[in-house]
Amino acid sequence: MTTPSNMCITSRNVNFYYGNFHALKNIDMDIAPNTVTALIGPSGCGKSTYLRLFNRMNDLIDGARLTGEILINGRNIYDARIDVDELRKNVGMVFQKPNPFPKSIFENVAYGLRVNGVKDKKTIEQRVEESLKGAALWDEVKDKLKKSAFELSGGQQQRLCIARALAISPSVLLMDEPASALDPISTLKVEELIYELKKDYTIVIVTHNMQQAGRISDKTAFFYLGELVEYDDTKKMFLNPAKPATQNYITGRFG
Amino acid sequence: MKKKQVSQNIAFWIFRLFSLMVVGILFWILGFIISKGIQVIDWDFLTQAPTDGMTGGGIFPAIMGTLYLTVGSIIVAFPIGVLSGIYINEYATNNWFVKLIRIMTTNLSSVPSIVFGLFGMALFVNTMGFGDSIIAGSLTLGLLTLPVVIRVTEEALHAIDDSFRTASYALGATKLQTIRKVILPMALPNIMTGLILSIGRVSGETAPILFTAVAYFLPKLPDSIFDQVMALPYHLYVISTSGTDLAASRPIAYGTALVLIAIILVINIIATLLRNYFGKKVKTNF
Amino acid sequence: MKQTEEEIIHIKQAVAEMWQLVESQIHKSHQALLKYDTMVAHEVQSREKSVDSYELYIDRACENFIALFNPVAIDLRFVLSLMKINNNVERLGDFADGIAHYVITRQQPPFSDELLKALKLEQMFREVETMFALCKRALTTEDTAVAAEVFGHDHLVDEIHANAIPVLAAYCREHPEYTEECFALFGAIRRIERMGDRCNNIAEDIIFYVDAKEIRHTGK
Repeated sequence: MTTPSNMCITSRNVNFYYGNFHALKNIDMDIAPNTVTALIGPSGCGKSTYLRLFNRMNDLIDGARLTGEILINGRNIYDARIDVDELRKNVGMVFQKPNPFPKSIFENVAYGLRVNGVKDKKTIEQRVEESLKGAALWDEVKDKLKKSAFELSGGQQQRLCIARALAISPSVLLMDEPASALDPISTLKVEELIYELKKDYTIVIVTHNMQQAGRISDKTAFFYLGELVEYDDTKKMFLNPAKPATQNYITGRFG
Repeated sequence: MKKKQVSQNIAFWIFRLFSLMVVGILFWILGFIISKGIQVIDWDFLTQAPTDGMTGGGIFPAIMGTLYLTVGSIIVAFPIGVLSGIYINEYATNNWFVKLIRIMTTNLSSVPSIVFGLFGMALFVNTMGFGDSIIAGSLTLGLLTLPVVIRVTEEALHAIDDSFRTASYALGATKLQTIRKVILPMALPNIMTGLILSIGRVSGETAPILFTAVAYFLPKLPDSIFDQVMALPYHLYVISTSGTDLAASRPIAYGTALVLIAIILVINIIATLLRNYFGKKVKTNF
Repeated sequence: MKQTEEEIIHIKQAVAEMWQLVESQIHKSHQALLKYDTMVAHEVQSREKSVDSYELYIDRACENFIALFNPVAIDLRFVLSLMKINNNVERLGDFADGIAHYVITRQQPPFSDELLKALKLEQMFREVETMFALCKRALTTEDTAVAAEVFGHDHLVDEIHANAIPVLAAYCREHPEYTEECFALFGAIRRIERMGDRCNNIAEDIIFYVDAKEIRHTGK
């Protein structure tokens, strides 16, 4: 293990291919625990692909191939002995569009527990409540847990999806543009939530919203054409980026 | 401006005329059959066997026969069709094998039903030795609807956004768990609807059961699935073309047609109700 | 052309106009002081209002730019430093106005040419004008090396200023009846020195804008 023990996620010389397409090139990146890291860059730059490496979502794609290694909490997650389902329990994910299951609010949060073999009713009820509280949704839904998740507003649905991810007690939380489909007020709530969650989770977030990246993240990584162009403190990136490409992108002078 | 409106109106009226024509023809047929058939329909007609060389009595054995065959074909086609649909959409990667299955199912659904009848006779009646029987007829009808069931299942599954699958996987669920707990419940309303509509079609088919299941005349109900049965569409065909006294059995023919149409109508209504019910259920609480 | 860039160009244009005006204000106050020319001094005073309105206009443009365009990186540094620079430039205009005011109120003070030479007022003014010209060039070319040259000139201005105190004190001892006039003159000299300091600040802000390097309070 070459990873510094104080890092949560470590990428070493990561290359990723879709068939012949070289999607990620020589990515080296360390992510400290209990931080929010924003991945930014134009569409198709590889940031979402990179995010999905952390819970091996890209495994589902034909012809996907990875070289190099990614360590989460010191374990190489692409090791042949790693159980992917176990990995995904440890690395939760929230998607771009709120996508609660067509189940009740309660069952949505309980789903991750049930599929992972938790049967005890008390435990499930307790975890559901904790997760909904963790996602700052409990007060809004505690009286209608049996109601369909579809009755919630878009912003509430997204926080429900966050609660659903929290239920299985991951240590890392991946977010793929979690607020891009939400109105400004819901967006703000999700951003506040992310700020709160940082205390207990390591969060990696893909966003197209520069202001959002600035508001919520500690570190920012700029991807372009599959390369990690610049990775630094968010403050530094947004006041004085080192690379002209980064500056052109964040100031909107791209292309 | 004015000119545009006039031409719009003309086009609109042409569309309206044609759609009215379709509805008109439909109601004409229905009205014709109802007016002719309603006279013979009474309790006895629905519960008695034919008498007097099929110029009198009822059509009870034919109604029951049609029900047996329909239910039988569901039992055959539903599990196979739904499971293959799941396999094609959820498991199979898009390789040559899946393409082959797709081509085959498309071709199968355009094969004339009489060919299914002949095939059923060759395989189930003769080779497998079932003889003319409910089981041979059900298997043949099942084969006939199989492509439809597969297609319906596949499309119902395909319509479900991939984000639900990825969300489930991201929570550490296996593929089987994902299909069972998320995907199938969501697809069920559409699958059910397609299925019931195909049942409506099966219950009206004549050709596939012609050589595999039906009898010209049976005074009593079958004892087992290896017995022959009467069936409504075939009965209609018989008393319209080769009965002992065609003129005398004409009213019974209209009565039979009416019963057949009524059954299909009821099935379609059930399909609609079921879809609405399940649709709501999926949205609220599963 | 990107909207952001258009907005920045628009702001830069207003800045260029304002700087040209202030440059001429400094030069005119220079002329007015050396020759005690009240005509020119009046000219300076009459244009002071116009400097103020430029300041307000540019500040408003910067505020709008921040509110509407959410600038980051170089755009953010540009607008942040410009707001500070703008304030400094306005102060330069104020000092020019103050010197003009001195010239008008004191009319023909009884100072000899020797005294004025010994005070090196012309050289001091020339240094300040050079500093402002350097600032202007540094901002338009975004050249930090040019901005850094300003600091050297400021040392010179400070020296001349420091030297003025003993010269004036000696003059006071010789001509005690002119003490009040001496104080008034020193007020004008002090304003020139302050001009140099303001140019210094502008140069620092330009360096922050271009290089994001913070060099204030570091002893250069």
